[in-house]
Amino acid sequence: MTDGACLELAGKVPKEGTRVVAEEEMLVRRAQRGDRVAFDALVRLHDQKILRLVMQIVRTPELAKDLYQEAFLKAYRALGNFRFESSFSTWLHRVATNVCLDYLRRQGNREEISTKPGEDGEVELLDTVAEGRPDLNPEHALRAREIGRRIEAALQGLTPRERVVFELRHYQGLRLRAIGELCGTTEETAKNCLFRATQKLRTALEDLAHARKRE
Amino acid sequence: MNCKEWQEELALYLYGDLPADRRAAVDSHLASCGQCRETLEEGRRLHQLLAARPLREPSPELLYECRHALGEALDHDDLGWRGLLRGWSSMLRFAPASGAVAAVALVVTGFCMGWALRPRTGMVAPLVVPAAGTASVSEPDLQNMRINGISRVAPDPKTGEVRITLDAERRMTLEGSLDDPRIQQVLLYAVRNYNNPGIRRDTLDALRTRPDNPNVRGALLYALRHDPNAGMRLEALNAVRGLDWGPDLRQALLDALEHDTNPGVRISAIDLLSQHADAEVLPAFERLAASDADRSVQLRCARAIRELAKGDF
Repeated sequence: MTDGACLELAGKVPKEGTRVVAEEEMLVRRAQRGDRVAFDALVRLHDQKILRLVMQIVRTPELAKDLYQEAFLKAYRALGNFRFESSFSTWLHRVATNVCLDYLRRQGNREEISTKPGEDGEVELLDTVAEGRPDLNPEHALRAREIGRRIEAALQGLTPRERVVFELRHYQGLRLRAIGELCGTTEETAKNCLFRATQKLRTALEDLAHARKRE
Repeated sequence: MNCKEWQEELALYLYGDLPADRRAAVDSHLASCGQCRETLEEGRRLHQLLAARPLREPSPELLYECRHALGEALDHDDLGWRGLLRGWSSMLRFAPASGAVAAVALVVTGFCMGWALRPRTGMVAPLVVPAAGTASVSEPDLQNMRINGISRVAPDPKTGEVRITLDAERRMTLEGSLDDPRIQQVLLYAVRNYNNPGIRRDTLDALRTRPDNPNVRGALLYALRHDPNAGMRLEALNAVRGLDWGPDLRQALLDALEHDTNPGVRISAIDLLSQHADAEVLPAFERLAASDADRSVQLRCARAIRELAKGDF
């Protein structure tokens, strides 16, 4: 990944790029020597973005907390293997992405996730949407909940890789090349994943999209 | 290209991921193909629909909880076998000519250990000294003994007994009640002087069952203030929760609040102080709420101040 792309992931402005990268490298080297304070500083540099990423995938604070911890513990344990071939930010996001992929694979191996109202996170999400729009009448609020539930169900119909690629591109706004690096694959594969995900979502949500057209 | 092939391009077109030349080619095709224009419109409607699912922004409270839990998990990780391995591997990685040096060091260490532990005529086998029985090692003996190492501290929460394996002039095992002065003497020595955090943790576990003993109280407060390992200081902080509230405990917590380098310890100190807070604690809370380097500590102090103002303590 280019420096620019790394900084994009780290959320740093390009002007300060060189200084930030140098400081971060120093922190990583100290953390590799077992300096916990340095590792804590690295956590605080990146953890908001990591938490936002896992939150978007799992949608519930409790699960997000678990994945956040798993990602940073894995990073802590594997820090000795980091060889500065990419930026630390990219490496850390790759660890977190893999944790998300593993989680989705585990979910896939379990029984189909319920998407009934009141049984998982997306209903909470839609409550938030409804609360945020006081002009929404009860009928519209109900409709918004239904749409949200259908979107969540459609997203759960994607394979883990398609889901992660789609979340990273559509909701996190990362470029396909960066997504390829995070998922340990090529830009072309990421592009194909995004296309397949879009096709599946279009099929699953076709009736809702047509209803929107009629509105 | 047929329309099916153009569809792949349209997906990227919608995300603005196409280079200028391919974007122009798509525009040109769209001008003459109604089916692809309809596909593009469907794509736009899908994007509008998906916008109904907003980004979930983690709250500051969730971030704080995550950091706190991670700190504890990392402390635990440092104390376990992973921490030991990590310490070794980092030493090997950064030592110059590490491979050769490590190999030679291992051979020399092995030889020395073999020599030290060789069977010798008349050498006494590991000695078990029951506290209740006739003690072959008396308290003065122990005081005059130089303890070279402690291999194991195994408290039994059911019986209140503890078994300590240590190396002094010879290897021995002390076994007995925590009320036994010899047992206490070794444990108090271990918590202050021993360099293995795992042993210190086991020692704290044993000591915390005797919160009324003044020596134990002193040792727990000492560990809270001075243990070099943040995980151990957190353990000590948990252990002092069992002590009667007093000025020495209050001062130790204030010292942790002001001087401990670990935010997790500072936050735990805030929590415990909050339970016994008074007006004198308020300035320390206010100072940290305004200037602590860690945002989570600032937030926790601010919350404690609000609760103090409401009289919720």
